[in-house]
Amino acid sequence: MDPLRAQQLAAELEVDMMADMYNRMTQACHLKCVPPHYKEAELSKGESVCLDRCVAKYLDVHERMGKKLTELSLQDEELLKRMQQGTGTA
Amino acid sequence: MESLRRAAQRALPSAELQRPSAPALRKPPRCRCPVRVAVLREAMAAAPPPSTPGGSQPPPPPPLQYSVLLQHLVGEQRRPRAWDPNTFGGIPSPPKSKEQKMVERVMESCAFKAALACVGGFVLGGAFGIFTAGIDTNVGFDPKDPYRTPTAKEVLKDMGQRGISYAKNFAIVGAMFSCTECIVESYRGKSDWRNSVISGCITGGAIGFRAGMKAGMIGCGGFAAFSAAIDYYLR
Repeated sequence: MDPLRAQQLAAELEVDMMADMYNRMTQACHLKCVPPHYKEAELSKGESVCLDRCVAKYLDVHERMGKKLTELSLQDEELLKRMQQGTGTA
Repeated sequence: MESLRRAAQRALPSAELQRPSAPALRKPPRCRCPVRVAVLREAMAAAPPPSTPGGSQPPPPPPLQYSVLLQHLVGEQRRPRAWDPNTFGGIPSPPKSKEQKMVERVMESCAFKAALACVGGFVLGGAFGIFTAGIDTNVGFDPKDPYRTPTAKEVLKDMGQRGISYAKNFAIVGAMFSCTECIVESYRGKSDWRNSVISGCITGGAIGFRAGMKAGMIGCGGFAAFSAAIDYYLR
């Protein structure tokens, strides 16, 4: 798969991926950091600190998972190539 | 990652993509990507058509290489972009300017809150001191003449001294309490009643510690109980 085609595909998929990630992140961090008490309308200091940390961790996890997935898919592709070569010569 | 995989699976039901998927913990949201499926199908169909008509089987389409795609999505070859939450489905709002962000950061900082509590404590303490000077006075007491009324100058001097003394104490206590509460809240990342109890114990302990360990512990307990009562009343 040539890099240019991959880049074009990635550019189109990235928007969808980022939107999905943003929505999930908002939902998860809201669930973890903002208890449903609602005594006042503004975010308190503890809640804003918690949200900062939650977003940082979420993005870190997203990046690491992506790199791990890349690694795994590389292994899969090598395995597949070896299998094809095996059936080709056999 | 989930939406990407689902899109690819719908486009290519080939053997290499049938790997056991992890059981979903909850029903995943519907992927809004029929367009992406079309894009992927078109990429697959970009393989050249067979040259011999009515002859051998067409060559299999080139497999979708996840690793190359992922490098462009989350790996080294990802190009940094400016993401706007308005396009992601967030509530559209104008981005905050640099000055606004700085002002907000200052207003929410622990130092500012402590300074505010200090000034407030000073004012309150001054008023309280002046008030109590009027009630409980022993100014201008002359043992030889117990019924002598104190002069206005003596009274004012006493009020001023008491006011200043109370004001300083209240200011220090207020600043300490506010500062410790802010620090504890930043550390815990939650805002509930425990923050004021912990910071009350620290403040009371610090004040009472000057008179010994036992006085420190009594101060801690007393101030923590007082903070808890105020918190309960206010919330």
